[in-house]
Order: sequence, then structure tokens, then C-alpha cells
Amino acid sequence: MKTYEDLAGDGGSNIISQVVSQREKLRARLDKIKHKVALMSGKGGVGKSSITANIAACLADRGHTVGILDADLNGPSICHLLGVGNDEKLVINDDGIKAGEGAMGIKIMSMDMLLSSPDTPVMWTDDAGATSTWVSTMESTALRELLADTIWGELDYLLIDMPPGSDRMDNIRDLIPELAGVVEITIPSQLSQHIVSKSITKNSKMGVPIIGLIENMATYICPHCDKEGKLFEGQDAELLSSKKGINYIGKIPFDTRVSRKTDSGSLFYAENKDSITGKAIAGAVDSIIKFIENKTN
Amino acid sequence: MKFLCIPCDEQMETQTDGIMPEENKNLAMKFKCKKCGHMIAMLTNQFETEFVSKLGVEMGGASSVGSGPMSMVGSQLSQAKKELDKGKPEDNLVWTEEAQVRIKKVPFFVRNMAKKTVINFALEKGVTLIDAKLMDEVREKVGM
Repeated sequence: MKTYEDLAGDGGSNIISQVVSQREKLRARLDKIKHKVALMSGKGGVGKSSITANIAACLADRGHTVGILDADLNGPSICHLLGVGNDEKLVINDDGIKAGEGAMGIKIMSMDMLLSSPDTPVMWTDDAGATSTWVSTMESTALRELLADTIWGELDYLLIDMPPGSDRMDNIRDLIPELAGVVEITIPSQLSQHIVSKSITKNSKMGVPIIGLIENMATYICPHCDKEGKLFEGQDAELLSSKKGINYIGKIPFDTRVSRKTDSGSLFYAENKDSITGKAIAGAVDSIIKFIENKTN
Repeated sequence: MKFLCIPCDEQMETQTDGIMPEENKNLAMKFKCKKCGHMIAMLTNQFETEFVSKLGVEMGGASSVGSGPMSMVGSQLSQAKKELDKGKPEDNLVWTEEAQVRIKKVPFFVRNMAKKTVINFALEKGVTLIDAKLMDEVREKVGM
């Protein structure tokens, strides 16, 4: 009797060649992007998306071409932050879907661009009996399509705005093995650091390069006198980075204008780069670029 | 996974017609020995069906429907923008809304095979309207 190896081909299922074709398409798309950086946190609500959007703004301000993949499929916010409305018509051709163009020419792709209305949730089925396995398999494939089927063009940087938690990184590692690294983001609270610590440990164990740790909302800047005060109680996140042996990128003070600007589809950094928070964002970008340069050389 | 016809010692081939699975649930794939014509069915449970869905491929080969950009997102997302939905029948047959919803619930990787089965059945029968009743008839006919 013949064995598996004796049987040439796949009996007409055509699965292997489709998987190969998917990979080739993804590779062709990613090869046009020089550096891919994921921004993540084990914890939700630490300002990942705002930081991502403003880091993108800083990179664009320095003359780089930048894109953002909103990998937070169920809680997408990048369209909102960069002023791309849900009513913008998709430009679709055989090669893919044209990336949305947000503030400062930043290219974006987000589930929000694909949904029928702004308040529509991401649902893969209307069947209330659908299992969680069904949903998670859909999300993995969706992430690949968002990356591979978006016409990003030539980019210097693609930033990946990750969802809260660390599980999605498994998908990203598989899709983008050449990932330059991840930026971990925490706020000073003990709870946040406790959770982000797990995310750092997981990434270290999985061999994911960690660019460093950003301590967001580290302090509060008074809009009247520019004095800094503490927002949260907790140990300095620099201790966490030192304990974990990763680079401490620095503190980014909370500035009320960050949320005010981003809520109006404008970017804080673009208009406030000389503020204390603006300079901190620029410092974070310096660290990211330095890490990538050291890695490349 | 490959299937072997033991008496002929020949690989069995995936059949791309005659598939009408229960939406989102169990799946039956047919395989035929090209030498003796013997057919078998591979039956999967809901979890096995979901597992294969992760690949984002179509059994029997990518169709024109499946090969468009974001085909899985466009066809699987419950409320995607209209321009993404390329999953509509490419022939002159009219699908009722209910029939469209039902065909959309068939797992992505066999949806086009199921659609082909329904279309062939409708053409054979000489009807131009595909509704839920016709889809039930198809399922009864193919026995899966």
C-alpha cells in the first residue's frame, strides 16, 4: 500500500498551494516596509494607541514614511485618532485595498475602515451559538489579511498598535518574523507594572526583541505653569526595566492636550513638539531608532 | 491529509461539487477514486471544521470570489462595508436574502463548493430563484 509520501499532489484540495500563495503575497507586501515595530502592553488603558499615533507623527515629522496597522481588531481606535472617517470609501483593486491616509500622511489600516457604520462592532457571525474557537480563528486570518491585502506602498516604518494583552503577539511573530522589536508600555501603577511584567517575560522567552519600556502618564503637566506632579502612586517603572534587563525608554508625562487633540483627529505631537510631553515623545522615537540602527549594523 | 483507495492503491480526489454542509457546523467532504469511481466522505465535527477555517483557504482551489483582497474579512464579517462583499453569486440567479445569509454561514473554505452545488442544482431544475427551501432540497439530495 502506498504511503503519504508516495502520493504526489494534494488530491485536488489545493490547500498547500493556497497557503504558499498567501505567504508570498504577505512577503511581497512586507518587503516594501523597512522596519516593523509593535507597541504593546499586557494592560489595557495605558495609552498605547495615543503613544503609537504620536510616535508615528514624530517619525513623519522627521521625514519618514509611516504606516500604522491597528491590530486591536475589537477595539480599534487608530482611525479615530488619525481622523479617518468610517464614511470614507474603500479603494479596492486586484492588488488590495488602499491604506487610509490619516493626519500627516500616515497610512493606516483598521477594522474601523471596513465596518458598515461607526458604531458597528466587529462580529464574525450573528449566530449566538458560535464558539470562541470560531471567533479566534477568524481573528488570526483577519490579521493576516489586514497586513497582506493592504496597499501600504513603500514605508520606512510600520507601527503595529497591539490590543491589550500579549496573546496577539503570537500571530504577529508568525506573520512578521523580521519584526524589529516591541515597545512595551506601562503606566506607573503597581497593577499595570505587574501585568506588563508578564508581557515582557513572555516576549523574552519567545525571543521577541524588546526595544524597551515606556512609562506613560508618568507625571502630570500643569497647563498653567508647566510644573510636573505625580499621577499615580507606584514604584518607578525604570526599576521594572532594570529588573527585566530591558532598555528604559523613558517617561512620557500626561498632557491634557494629548486626548483633546487626538479626539479631534489631530495629533498632539504635530503642534506641541516643543512641550515637555512632545520632547518626551521625541526622546522615545530616538530610542526606537537607535535600537533599530544598532540591530541593523 | 490525503485519502487512498486501498483496492486500487490510488490517491482519491477531492470532489468540488455535491457539498452542502450545515452552516457553521459539521462538514462532509467527498473524495473519489479516479480509477474505480468509489467515493467516500470525510466527516468533521464543529471543532475540526473551525480549525481548518483558520487557514483562510478554499477546499478545491481558490475561486475568483476567494482570491480578492480581504476575502475572508469581507465575506465573514457580520456587518462589513458593502464594497467588500464580493461573495455575491456571479451568475444571473437571484438569491433571496435568507439564502444569502445561509450560504454566508457555510464555512469560508467550502463556501464556494457549496455555492456551486446549489447553483448546479438550480440550473438542473430550471429555476432562477434560490431560496431557503431550494437549499434544503439540495441538502436532502446530496445527503449531507
